[in-house]
Amino acid sequence: MSVIPLQNKKVEPLLSVRDLKMHFPVKEGIFMRTGKFNKAVDGVSFDIAPGETLGLVGESGCGKSTLGRCIARLYQPTAGEISFEGQDIAKLGRKPLMPFRRDIQMIFQDPMESLNSRHTVGQILEEPFQVHNIGNRESRQKRVKELLDLVGLPARSVTRYPFEFSGGQRQRIGIARSIALNPKLIICDEPVSALDVSIQSQILNLLIDLQKEFNLSYLFIAHDLAVVKHISDRIAIMYLGKIVESGVGESIYRTARHPYTQSLISAIPVPDPHHVAHRQILVGDVPSPINPPSGCNFHTRCPQAMEVCKQVVPHLSDEAQPVSCLLYDASKP
Amino acid sequence: MSDVILSVKNLVTEFSTDEGRVRAVDDVSFDIKAGETLGIVGESGCGKSVTALSIMRLLPQPIGQIMGGEILLQGENLVDMSIEQMQRVRGARIGMVFQEPMTALNPVHTIGRQLTEVILLHKKISKEKALKEGIAMLDKVGIPAPDIRMTEYPHQLSGGMRQRVVIAMALACQPSLLIADEPTTALDVTIQAQILELIKELQKEMGMSVLLITHDLGVIAETSASVVVMYAGKVAERGSVYEIFDSPTHPYTRGLLESIPRLDTEPKSKLTIIPGMVPGLLDMPKGCRFENRCRYRKDSCLLAPPAAETISEGHEVACYEWRELKTSVGGGGDSANFKLSAVA
Repeated sequence: MSVIPLQNKKVEPLLSVRDLKMHFPVKEGIFMRTGKFNKAVDGVSFDIAPGETLGLVGESGCGKSTLGRCIARLYQPTAGEISFEGQDIAKLGRKPLMPFRRDIQMIFQDPMESLNSRHTVGQILEEPFQVHNIGNRESRQKRVKELLDLVGLPARSVTRYPFEFSGGQRQRIGIARSIALNPKLIICDEPVSALDVSIQSQILNLLIDLQKEFNLSYLFIAHDLAVVKHISDRIAIMYLGKIVESGVGESIYRTARHPYTQSLISAIPVPDPHHVAHRQILVGDVPSPINPPSGCNFHTRCPQAMEVCKQVVPHLSDEAQPVSCLLYDASKP
Repeated sequence: MSDVILSVKNLVTEFSTDEGRVRAVDDVSFDIKAGETLGIVGESGCGKSVTALSIMRLLPQPIGQIMGGEILLQGENLVDMSIEQMQRVRGARIGMVFQEPMTALNPVHTIGRQLTEVILLHKKISKEKALKEGIAMLDKVGIPAPDIRMTEYPHQLSGGMRQRVVIAMALACQPSLLIADEPTTALDVTIQAQILELIKELQKEMGMSVLLITHDLGVIAETSASVVVMYAGKVAERGSVYEIFDSPTHPYTRGLLESIPRLDTEPKSKLTIIPGMVPGLLDMPKGCRFENRCRYRKDSCLLAPPAAETISEGHEVACYEWRELKTSVGGGGDSANFKLSAVA
């Protein structure tokens, strides 16, 4: 099994995920028997270094959000390893997991849904400290003010409710909450997708600033490749529960090798009327992860599919820019 | 000008809310030529969707009202039309595609029933013939096995397929204008590419004009010949797609173009931002509506809203300072000459 290598091999990874699988049972028939599984994440391995951003890109239903939630341990993965600073947290129970919950935080796509609308911003930001029993009332409130300042909100926001804020400001509250306990890793699940263009850049700048200041690691999940490339050191492309290609942002864009990556990049509309698009338009839709195609699961939409792709399952290659495609696999016929 | 399909002149649309009347669209004007695609770009709340709903006369009743201006479809003023007259325009002369195909389709009727409904409503033909036309239309929008799809329900189709059905419905009666309000926003980028390509092909084939409403500057650059940039209910700038992207003049247009991360920007570099946010419709500034976020603001900007001024034939901007801006910094679009070597 090949692992997406770190850029700097000497650094100890903060997070290493090995062969992670998340299969959701699908209940069928009148007896609700589990006949099939939705293989949302099906054997994913990667490392994240301290202070690094790994961008995770893919279309809806590819399993990128599920993967993020497994690492934040909102889900109990079916199989595989999630090593955080050397300790496997994939199977830890509620209690032993508590210290890791401080270190791994999450930012969600829709801040209106992820913030309790009946709590004031002060209550929302104080809650992490109460859960983990940190400090007294006074020190907590002082810290809440610091947090608001860090994300660029006025101190008087403390007594306000989430509905009184705009989308971008709400996302700032979500970010303040995620950094409250000085985490090491933040899972950002589509943090700017719901925001307007001019607000998006404000939030991206904030995330980049906070990363530099606190040496945070990000797993940045998004479908917008331009956004992901801007914020990421390395990028991994996911399709139907598997990583199909990965590498440094720049090289993914300039020398994409997997036909899916190439199509994905070519599909992005470029904001330049002089740009001539060389589109590789993919036919059809993403197949169901309950009943994925045989062999390479991309062969049904692949413009370069060969006969062998229907039978042989490709694996990520052992290279600086690993790719999971039989076109580049010399050992296969 | 006979080749203008739709001409919107000084359109004003207001909503009455509990807190008072708000002007969602304020003095908006533009023309769409035959066979042309016009893009309206702007952020949420800028009035782009309300403009589309005003043209279709589909404003939420009774709170939404057109307070002034003209909407001329091939010379006829839609604002003065009765409900019955409008019903003969919608679907037949103007087709509309919405953002979320699941809400645009009726979940309890088959695709076939919904598609033939449009055809039967506007054409005097038999049910069998309408069914045949419907199947032909589904085939045209690239739906495989169209005769089987006709008997299926919306939930049995994927998002991309549903949007194709909505496009088939919108175009079933060969309208001269298609209004597409964020038609690809709910779709994945590979599906978005399919749908945009489809709209382009059908436009070429049927010769219709398209009014495309989106927040995505990439989609605009790729599809539109002319562009209207809207901000807080007003037109900030309009011109050809080259004028808007190569020499953006309004500070808002510039800000937008500079703030989007591009494939060729340095990773983790600071993005240019437009500080602050759009003012609420109830507390609009008295002067220029962009005044509180503008880095070129002068005291004179606070007094009265700027009128649209012509920079060159067809290129208009609503900014007091445009002459200064024109000569100062180059446009934000110049840095975008990046070619994707990976896919060449």
